[in-house]
Amino acid sequence: MLSPSNFLVYLLLLAEEELLNKPVVYCFLPEPAVSAYPYVQLEDKELLEKFAQPESRNMAFNQLVRKYQQKIYWHIRKMVIDHDDADDLTQDVFVKVWKNLDNFRQDAQLYTWIYRIATNECLSFLSSKKRKFFLPLNDVTAELMEKVESSPELAGDEVQMKLQKAILRLPEKQRLVFNMKYFDEMKYEEMSEILGTSVGALKASYHIAVKKIEEFLKHD
Amino acid sequence: MKKDLKLSDIPQRNPYQVPANYFDRLPMRVMERTAAQEQKQPTLWQPLRLALVPVVLLLLFVGAYFYSMPDEPEQQMVNLASVSDTEIVDYLSTYATIETTDFAELSTLREQELPAELLNVSATAAEEELEYYNLNHIDY
Repeated sequence: MLSPSNFLVYLLLLAEEELLNKPVVYCFLPEPAVSAYPYVQLEDKELLEKFAQPESRNMAFNQLVRKYQQKIYWHIRKMVIDHDDADDLTQDVFVKVWKNLDNFRQDAQLYTWIYRIATNECLSFLSSKKRKFFLPLNDVTAELMEKVESSPELAGDEVQMKLQKAILRLPEKQRLVFNMKYFDEMKYEEMSEILGTSVGALKASYHIAVKKIEEFLKHD
Repeated sequence: MKKDLKLSDIPQRNPYQVPANYFDRLPMRVMERTAAQEQKQPTLWQPLRLALVPVVLLLLFVGAYFYSMPDEPEQQMVNLASVSDTEIVDYLSTYATIETTDFAELSTLREQELPAELLNVSATAAEEELEYYNLNHIDY
């Protein structure tokens, strides 16, 4: 059965057929697999309560994914650069969340817990890449650098391209710290909970990262 | 100008993009995976199978142990039953005699003077016992 949007397109195609006076070949692709659940942003506590009940489990998980998907995806994407890798890892993160949400201790924030899973997935992915191809760290960086250089989104924006390449030159953990502070504007306390590092060490790490990036920008 | 480029001079923006409707579809794609995982959830048979492994191994071990045990005790019973009384008496008179070395061991024991606390008996009580059984004067 045609959806209202497809029916509208169908009418337009019929009109086009009439105007052009020749048959127009058309087909309708299935509707994108979007959620059957209307999105209502729920508090984490409420999400967890609903997830604990079998009848509202799926709905709660769907809301949870919608609530955090963008933050988690972009956190991962900035680390692995490639969309397909980021897509796979984001799905892996949420599958892990699904499996372990029953055991989630509510003394931590749900948001920081999911972020921690995502961070670990990113680091494991980059490590496995090094192991898989017997690549030293620099070669993984070079591979990511190539992806940045060939990225159509950065084509024509020389300053952004330089910045992204400068960020990629940071060690992985410092890159994480930089991304979380600079792009996600996360509080040091939250970062500390996610990365298991002291606030003081994170501040120092971010400060050094900024200095390094500015050095790269100067000399690149 | 390039040499003075600072991080604060660069507009802060996310330089990457995602395919159209990516975030509309992602929740359902994740849920398809979780549904598939749920279908793969272990049934009762899987943990039962895991628990049965050590039990089966134990049974195999016990079985192998009993299977490999020699049948000697049974053979000895058969042999003893088939031995005549005369042969048993002959055997005992030949081999079941007290050797002189046994007495030599006894005499060394005597010389060692075992402490009374080790024997847990008083000297008087020991003397009385020896006298009662007349062990001080044994004739060979």
